[in-house]
Amino acid sequence: MDQTLSKFIAALRNSNIRVSTAETLDAFKAVELVGYSDRALLKHTLNLVLPKTCDEKDVFTECFDRFFSFEEVSSQSLAGEGGELGDAQNGDGDAAGSGGDGNQPGEGGSGGGGGENTGDGESQELEPIPPGNLSEASSALGQLLMRNDRAELTVQMARAGEEAQVETIKVFTQKGLYTRRILEGMGLSHLIREIVDKEKSEHLPDRRLSRELKLRQDILREQVRDYVERQFLLHADHTGMRLREELLRKVKLSNVEHRNFRVIQEIVLRMAKKLVSLHSQRRRVLKRGQLHVPRTLRKNMSYDGAIFDLRWKSTKVDRPNVFAICDVSGSVANYSRFLLMFLYSLEEVMSKVRCFAFSSDLGEVSEMFDRYPMEEAITRTLHHYSTGSTDYGQALQDFKKLCMDDVNKRSTIIILGDSRNNYCDAHAEILKEMYDKSKRVIWLNPEARNTWNTGDAIMRKYAPYCHQVEECNSLVHLERTVGNLLLRV
Amino acid sequence: MSTVHNIAKSVESLKKSLEAHKYICSDQIATAVYIANQLGKPILIEGPPGVGKTELAKTTAEMLGLPMIRLQCYEGLDDAKAIYEWKYGKQLLYTQVLKQALEEVLSGAKGLSESVARLHEFGDIFFSEEFLEPRPLLKALKEEDGCVLLIDEIDKADHEFESLLLELLSDYQISIPEIGTIKAKAKPPLVFLTSNNTRELSDALKRRCLHLYIPFPDAALERRIVHARVPEIPPILEKQLVAFIQALREMDLKKLPAISETIDWARTLMLLHSEKLEPELIKNTLNVILKFQEDIVNVESELTTLTHTAIREAERP
Repeated sequence: MDQTLSKFIAALRNSNIRVSTAETLDAFKAVELVGYSDRALLKHTLNLVLPKTCDEKDVFTECFDRFFSFEEVSSQSLAGEGGELGDAQNGDGDAAGSGGDGNQPGEGGSGGGGGENTGDGESQELEPIPPGNLSEASSALGQLLMRNDRAELTVQMARAGEEAQVETIKVFTQKGLYTRRILEGMGLSHLIREIVDKEKSEHLPDRRLSRELKLRQDILREQVRDYVERQFLLHADHTGMRLREELLRKVKLSNVEHRNFRVIQEIVLRMAKKLVSLHSQRRRVLKRGQLHVPRTLRKNMSYDGAIFDLRWKSTKVDRPNVFAICDVSGSVANYSRFLLMFLYSLEEVMSKVRCFAFSSDLGEVSEMFDRYPMEEAITRTLHHYSTGSTDYGQALQDFKKLCMDDVNKRSTIIILGDSRNNYCDAHAEILKEMYDKSKRVIWLNPEARNTWNTGDAIMRKYAPYCHQVEECNSLVHLERTVGNLLLRV
Repeated sequence: MSTVHNIAKSVESLKKSLEAHKYICSDQIATAVYIANQLGKPILIEGPPGVGKTELAKTTAEMLGLPMIRLQCYEGLDDAKAIYEWKYGKQLLYTQVLKQALEEVLSGAKGLSESVARLHEFGDIFFSEEFLEPRPLLKALKEEDGCVLLIDEIDKADHEFESLLLELLSDYQISIPEIGTIKAKAKPPLVFLTSNNTRELSDALKRRCLHLYIPFPDAALERRIVHARVPEIPPILEKQLVAFIQALREMDLKKLPAISETIDWARTLMLLHSEKLEPELIKNTLNVILKFQEDIVNVESELTTLTHTAIREAERP
């Protein structure tokens, strides 16, 4: 039974619940205590030990129900088949009716023929064996099928599944393969041989048996396929999401196709959330070794001036005061979209973010960000400012006019742009002023380093007045830069 | 002791016993207490304010007949307030009082080194356990027969404090530099941590605990809770009241009314000798369940519809 639990934990991990080794051990201990007999109790117990946030608890519930549904299905079909029979037949009747031909419900069961889905399958299985003699099935699987021993069949299926290592299934194209393997494991080849043999027989009961076996074999195949499907949903990354996200993080943002924007947005949000939770607490950095004399004296006043209790100097890491200046002209619009998105999502930790956008004239868009939801704010920004040819000099002048007075020793200025200035005046002296007044100036350039000074790009004029110049053109870069920003500011 | 042992033997008996102590709970909560008690693991309880997180710890202590030690967390809480502190005053006083004795000890000693050597013979008298002021965490470890330790609102404390707790939570011990490691007595304390989720707790802390989320109760459970806490309430009022609160929780309010508010409201209505809900009555007592003026205004505008729905809801079998 321990294997069951390990597999369940593997399935949980597959659904993005983080379960550590220590928690796994706890789960084993807890399950040892409560046992597997009471399903509700087991669920409550594991719910305490494994998922550790509310979101995870929701996923856990779904996963638990899916994983442990196996036993339930088999026992259900063992016990109450009568009710289901009626339902299934009604369903068949409807289907036939809409098809336009014979619409007596009675016919449905036999008319269903090949058994398209399990609903059909069950109704067929329950058809009474036609009158007349049948000969005994000789193969093991055949005997099982004829006895209609669901419990034993289920056990066999699970065992064959284990042998075929169905939990290693990765992509949907493997479903057929695993279905086949499990059927083989249950002894399908013997059964098929028997069916073929009996079909050729001149003996009537033999031929009947052959037909009956063939029917049941089809039903079994459906059930195995269902089983594999369930395992696939549990164990495989069924949407291919993880692979795609991994790729999207690394791909250049300008190459991201439009249909993937939504996914990217989700990734950005998740990254931002991670950074928020990392930095939401102001950390106090203790400077060990530096005595804070006034505070020590004050603290020890009550001990008659005897120095007992020493106080050390400490500094608080402040939340950054950020000015983000984004070039939104055509060439870099895609990058600024994501930077803006990132800044927008980080509002919670970076309370003092002021955003500016420009292509030739610069304007503040912070207010727009406050007022509208993210997507609309970004669209509006791009719409308002992305016309006109890029002019960094003009933009810097506008910035000086707008808010140079607000820049102080605690401000960080982030500039995102490719520095392609259309051969206009650079006005690097304004950048120098910003450099002198602020704590840090970071320039993020979406182009590759070797093109920074080619053509009309004038990175070499601006770079001396930046504390840090980075190439930034994928989400990985973006996350690293913003993370560093929060860490060090 | 044996009865206590019996109580903790199964989830069912635990649940019954909690109910006997007027704490009506779901299976999930009872299971949590059971597992925590059996495996000796701390429980981290999360949920909206007022759903009975702290109450669970209190009731468990009462039920198991153990003393409860409570540590309320706040920003800036440090080891001096949570674990131990030296009794500086006492140390100072003793050195003054013992001046005479010290002089005797030191009499005849020549030079500084000889004096210090003599002092050393007496060991660290001033840094022994007699001069140690135990704070809640240390006190909990020193309880002979075990106890219930409640660390309330852990999310309000700093990151540093969270890390400080890790040693206690995993090994039930605390290391004090001057004295050494202090381990829990024969029976380690049963630890409850509560959090209102104002910030994300670290994975290291979560990993060491069972995680219990207490949501708002459903109508049936809430009715039983009200009945247990305010037994004199007429059944019809009880039904209407719970239905009204449940409807409020569907609304978009700044602070949703929790169980504690429901109980307070029930008591208020009993005090006013009300038999059933009426819009006027609700209007006058709304400030018991809603804590923001904004919410009160919002609800007042829809009061009649809400009341009628609640009354209709209560009439259903």
